[in-house]
Amino acid sequence: MRVITFAGAGCAVICLCLSSLAVHAQPTSQQWREIETKYIFGFTEGSGVGLEGEKEFSLDTEARLGKSGGHYYASETKFEYEFTPNQYVQFELGPFASAHSIKGVDGLDDRSQLAFGGFFGEMRYLLLDRSTSPVAVTLSAEPEWRRIDETSGEVVDNFELELKVNADAELIKNTLYLGSNLLYEPEITHDPDHIGAGWEPESKVGISGALSYRVASSVLIGAEVWYLRHYDGAWLNNFTGDAVYVGPTLFVQLNPKMFISAAWDVQVAGSDVEDAAAKLNLAEFSRQRAKFKVAVEF
Amino acid sequence: MRRRFLILSALFVGLIAGPATAQKAATVSVSVKNHRFQPKELHAPANVPIAIHVKNLDSSRMEFESVTLRVEKVIGGNGEAVINIRPLSPGRYEFYDDFNQEADGVLVVR
Repeated sequence: MRVITFAGAGCAVICLCLSSLAVHAQPTSQQWREIETKYIFGFTEGSGVGLEGEKEFSLDTEARLGKSGGHYYASETKFEYEFTPNQYVQFELGPFASAHSIKGVDGLDDRSQLAFGGFFGEMRYLLLDRSTSPVAVTLSAEPEWRRIDETSGEVVDNFELELKVNADAELIKNTLYLGSNLLYEPEITHDPDHIGAGWEPESKVGISGALSYRVASSVLIGAEVWYLRHYDGAWLNNFTGDAVYVGPTLFVQLNPKMFISAAWDVQVAGSDVEDAAAKLNLAEFSRQRAKFKVAVEF
Repeated sequence: MRRRFLILSALFVGLIAGPATAQKAATVSVSVKNHRFQPKELHAPANVPIAIHVKNLDSSRMEFESVTLRVEKVIGGNGEAVINIRPLSPGRYEFYDDFNQEADGVLVVR
């Protein structure tokens, strides 16, 4: 059933790309306009902070698929309102929904649920502009309150702060873009195992690299690689494992006020300190992860 | 505690307001008629704030937009607006009407 859903979504995305190519194929690459880089690199975020006066509503789903055995699907969908009050700063905020479908996975209870997941906010500040530097850099901070555990789907109290440095460069004018992120993400969860352990801190760091190539005025395809490390403790105290993800990315500007962005990452390497023989880390990370965003500006 | 809150509030307000620019802005003007910018090329000095005065002489509304200038502004039919731009480095900054993308122009900063 899930496969059919994803196949359907894939076909829809291909149809949208083709229709977008047909509609926007007229200008040559020399006539292409500049584009906002924030959403062209998949999970990697570009430096864009939007345009002063711009407002946007989007549905942004990030899904994690596959553990070491059984069936595992978990996702969070943000109902996101984004606005740019000046030429340097952007804000995003909204609630999100959490979905889990888990069956026969070691260490996790079976469940099938859709629930209100919590709230998030994000502030982005453009530190270096591409008009003054070949590399544009934006700092972002995203606090989240979560009432459903991301991995297990259990009811919890979780607070997370995602801190990122988003950098990008235009390698070929209006055609080829390079993006990179640095990530530090501490979080605390109240008694996740229900054993009276109090607040349990953990943290994640990561680095990514991405390339995005404009194949048509309104379509960019690319690839990204992420290296993520997980720790017990909020300050990277005890290393527990790492993972490398690789995958394709897609960005389509459907019309001047609407776009979609998608990415599919597969874990290709990883390690788990509790399982020296493991070639992947499926305890802290999923086998695959996917992202799909549709946004309307107004 | 109260002092820390005040400092954080001031920082937050500062971020929303944008970096302070005490310099006087250079003003440039452009009009839109029959869905075309006139003139198509504007000139402004580098490293000072810029105010672009846009007059829409058409009866339909337009949206002045530029990714590199990082602004968008809807201007009603037969309306006008002033768009404030941060100090810019020398270069060419494209702009266009997002409701009629054939209308475009460039701000040349020297």
